[in-house]
Amino acid sequence: MGDILSIVSKRLGLGVVTLLVISIIIFGAVELLPGDIAQAVLGQGATEENLAAMREQLGLDRAAPIRYFEWLGNAVTGDFGRSLVSQQPVSEAISTRFANTLFLALYAAIIAVPVAIFLGVLVALFRNSVFDRVANVVTLTSISSPEFFLGYILILFLSVKTGYFPAIAKIDDGMSLIDKLDRTFLPALTMVLVVVAHMMRMTRASIINLLASPYVEMARLKGVPAWKVIVKHTLPNAWAPVINVVALNLAYLITGVVLVEVVFVYPGIGQLLVDAVTKRDFPVVQACCLIFAATFILLNLAADVGSILTNPRLRHPK
Amino acid sequence: MNYFIIGFYALVIGASTLAAYYQKRTTFILLFSLTLISFVMGIVGGEAMLWSVTILAGLIAFSAGVSYSFREFLIILLPEDLAKEMRTAPLTAGFGLFVIFTYAISGIFAPIIAPYGEAEVISSAFAPADENMLLGADQLGRDMFSRIIYGARNTVGLALLATILAFAMGATAGLYAATKGGKLDQLLGRIVDVIMSIPSLIFSLLLLSIFGTNTVTLIIVIAIIYAPRVFRLARSVGGNVVVMDYIEAAKLRGEGTWYLIRKEILPNSTAPLIAEFGLEFCFVFLLVAGLSFLGLGIQPPTADWGSMVRENATLISFGEITPLIPAGAIALLTVAVNFVVDWMLYRSSGLKE
Repeated sequence: MGDILSIVSKRLGLGVVTLLVISIIIFGAVELLPGDIAQAVLGQGATEENLAAMREQLGLDRAAPIRYFEWLGNAVTGDFGRSLVSQQPVSEAISTRFANTLFLALYAAIIAVPVAIFLGVLVALFRNSVFDRVANVVTLTSISSPEFFLGYILILFLSVKTGYFPAIAKIDDGMSLIDKLDRTFLPALTMVLVVVAHMMRMTRASIINLLASPYVEMARLKGVPAWKVIVKHTLPNAWAPVINVVALNLAYLITGVVLVEVVFVYPGIGQLLVDAVTKRDFPVVQACCLIFAATFILLNLAADVGSILTNPRLRHPK
Repeated sequence: MNYFIIGFYALVIGASTLAAYYQKRTTFILLFSLTLISFVMGIVGGEAMLWSVTILAGLIAFSAGVSYSFREFLIILLPEDLAKEMRTAPLTAGFGLFVIFTYAISGIFAPIIAPYGEAEVISSAFAPADENMLLGADQLGRDMFSRIIYGARNTVGLALLATILAFAMGATAGLYAATKGGKLDQLLGRIVDVIMSIPSLIFSLLLLSIFGTNTVTLIIVIAIIYAPRVFRLARSVGGNVVVMDYIEAAKLRGEGTWYLIRKEILPNSTAPLIAEFGLEFCFVFLLVAGLSFLGLGIQPPTADWGSMVRENATLISFGEITPLIPAGAIALLTVAVNFVVDWMLYRSSGLKE
């Protein structure tokens, strides 16, 4: 077991370092602004007093490394400073929106994961059949479509033409869960379509890889029945790639949500980020980017750790 | 029951029976699933639904026909060795090539094909289609059709430029790192790891919020974000080539690094790199489309598919499909490139199980 622990802790350490480097990039990118934040926000016509006041307020008179550590320290405790546009604390705007985004991603994941794995295993077992070919074309089409294309198609057919679901996913805290699920069905379905396609293809590839390995052939040759080959020989080895696939796609869900949120006017963190970018509200941009990047890295980390933990060869060292 | 329904079922059932009789397994399965689907559709949706099924099936058959003829056309036109490759291409690849060809033509000859200029206001806002305007007018009264044609030039052109730049940077750095190895290789590898661990859409939003959104910044930002993917592939492909004896021989001849990359390594790693170029283009294209959709990509009045979707999105709530056309144009090109790449990957890799 010592082996696994050291591998996992090494991987976790690497994740923390990556996160730190990325926080430096996110902080440093704003420092690259021509002039400084005050100049960029107030524009060329700003008076010297205004600039000075803004610099004072943002604490720009101190050295960048000091401000970086302050910013990071505050960010870890959930304080992202104040928005340049609304002067409200950024964390206030973010907390409910982040919860909304997580809700949407979770909703999509709960539908997508079982469907995708089931279908993925199915196409792997019936590979090169008509079913597999059709599935290949359909999933490829779904992956290649931009999210807003799928979203608007769904709006057109399931909302405008038939009126089954609402086109605009406006939710607030007072709504019951059923209401929320109904309102957010279309955005969730859009993400499900993309993610299922991705996951199916990845699951198919990893299962086919497994079925081509020598021990499966050996099992077949010694006369093990087909279902037993799958359950006893393939499945224990398939967990690692499947967990990997799931975690990678959850990471995709979290970030792919931006476009979907804009299409459906969903009050999530992606929409906040886009608004902030348009208004050049840097504290909000930094906070959103940091949250997205951190979630993305954590899920990737989970994928790696998961596949290490489920690897039979590592769990039973010689 | 009217004649259409009777005729429809007679046709699908008759066709599947024929296929079964002549032992055409694949055709039979396709036709019979179509029959079953249309039974369900017919019961649920009635005649209207059956019409949609017919139109859909007709569209698929039509595109299959077009792909087939285009493939045959290429086989006749191309020189002998390329034609041999084309014969093995699946229909989907023929379809992809046909679509790419069409887009290239409409992008290159946009001013000749489009009836109006891309920023020319010729009618009132959201005017419906008439004999002058094939697809109606957009939110400012510009001809939708002309703008879609110009979009093939602007959107695809920008994505292509960004991909080429990303490719040039990534492949050069990757092959150089593979040849030289050592500290530089390690350093580049770490930089690439960090860039790749930030989601690309988020990273591009961050960079664009700082550097502003003009076309040049857009191309450079996208190229920087996508170069790492090429770097990794080029490095690993190059790494396999570098250990070959002929590289050793070239080194002993006293050839320089640049010569090695250009004359020895690059020619031996083109196949995977070309496939990667296609994939990379798809990613870049979708990112450009997404950014434009968010209003942060190509700026108006330049015609661009992503922003056209956003600007006309209100029409959706009136049941119009106009905003879906530019979005569909994006999807179609990405699908087409993916089909071609799929075939190339299948050909060059051992994925033949």
